[in-house]
Amino acid sequence: MDYISPQTYNSTLSFSLSLALNPIRKDKSSKFLNLLSMDLTGLKWLQQHQQMVSPEFLQILGSDGREELRRVESYLGNNLDELQNFRPGYDTIDGCISRTSSFQMEPVKSNEENRVVALQNKRKPEGKRETREKKKKIKAEDETESSMKGNSDMSNTETSSDVLKQDYIHVRARRGEATDRHSLAERARREKISKKMKCLQDIVPGCNKVTGKAGMLDEIINYVQSLQQQVEFLSMKLSFLNPQLEFHIHELSSMMADQRSFPLHQQGSLDYSVINSNQTTSLNALKMETSLSWDVHSQCLYNNLRTDSVFSFFSLK
Amino acid sequence: MASADKPINTDVPEKDVFTLHFLQSLSNLRRQNTFNSPEKTNDRVKKIKKAAYVSMARAAGGTNRLWSRALLRRAAKENSKVVRFPRRKKRVTCLRRRRSNRRDPVEEEEAERLRNLVPGGGGMETSKLMEETAHYIKCLSMQVKVMQCLVDGLAPK
Repeated sequence: MDYISPQTYNSTLSFSLSLALNPIRKDKSSKFLNLLSMDLTGLKWLQQHQQMVSPEFLQILGSDGREELRRVESYLGNNLDELQNFRPGYDTIDGCISRTSSFQMEPVKSNEENRVVALQNKRKPEGKRETREKKKKIKAEDETESSMKGNSDMSNTETSSDVLKQDYIHVRARRGEATDRHSLAERARREKISKKMKCLQDIVPGCNKVTGKAGMLDEIINYVQSLQQQVEFLSMKLSFLNPQLEFHIHELSSMMADQRSFPLHQQGSLDYSVINSNQTTSLNALKMETSLSWDVHSQCLYNNLRTDSVFSFFSLK
Repeated sequence: MASADKPINTDVPEKDVFTLHFLQSLSNLRRQNTFNSPEKTNDRVKKIKKAAYVSMARAAGGTNRLWSRALLRRAAKENSKVVRFPRRKKRVTCLRRRRSNRRDPVEEEEAERLRNLVPGGGGMETSKLMEETAHYIKCLSMQVKVMQCLVDGLAPK
């Protein structure tokens, strides 16, 4: 479940409430109000995007939040007067405040958490926010840690709220990187490509030693070239070995016997002993490559070859 | 952007499929009766090589893969045969997309070389190219194994 550690929670809350409840300076609390009014626009965004949720949101906050707020205030032992003054005009802001206080309670939708955390971030003037997450499900621990250090200005929260989309690739924005749409797409693309390169790395032997995209791509290119050269070389060999390209059944069976393991002697009318004696070395070498399905398939293949239709296909001379 | 965590599918059929296709193509070659002149070894070699590639393309999935489709089309063009491909859901050519994406210059040099090697690579995006390369490598290695076994089988006893 998403929850914040009690210490960070208390500290942020105390800071925020002290701002609000300081009875000496009214201007500070007005600053607080200004901050909260800015949050209103963000809330309006929230309402626009999630029209279903917002009435529930406000309801939840409205009913539970005040109780929570009272509880916290009693804990802090502060005078409630200032806070009471704020309440009547700002139902939604009241909701915001109470949201922060009841943050620990239930796991609500991630958008709301984002908003809340953004609110918390506003109250921290020091430093810069380290990471900004654009994932749909945000871990509250990370957020509050960063909020401890960080302050996010308006644009940050807007962009981070803008990116919460459904059914998109979840990209983590790292520190110091731009978070506009193009670079996000670029990053997603690069990650896709690197994932596929990892697949390729498994296939191509000898790719493990080289790191980095360029070296690996070089290896892959060399491998493809060598495979193509092998095909050419083998085709040359084939043409020399068998100029008329006759394929007797003997040849076929010998080739298939290379792949087979031993228990297939019942197949036949062919002279296996002669062939097998010559092919034992290759058989041992190839045995390691034998797969079970190859046996089964080759049996069917051989049976097919023995039928009349295929016999004419490979005519004996 | 689509949600993209599908496992990449690079399954390749078994050896015997390749074998069958290759042997069929070789017997077709033989039927064409162009092998009476043993002097022109080069031509023969080329024909065998082409037969090998075409059979590999057919065995590996016919027109379901981009590279095999491009290979078959190239081969058919040389023979001036009319080849029909079944209609696919998506369009194959996406050259427009290729230009609109921003590219990493180092990576793109290599990708160009890869595109020259893998058939049909010219029309693909880099990520698609990687998938096709993986499948192509698997099929190539399978084909090499088949041919190696055949050569071993035909070796003088």
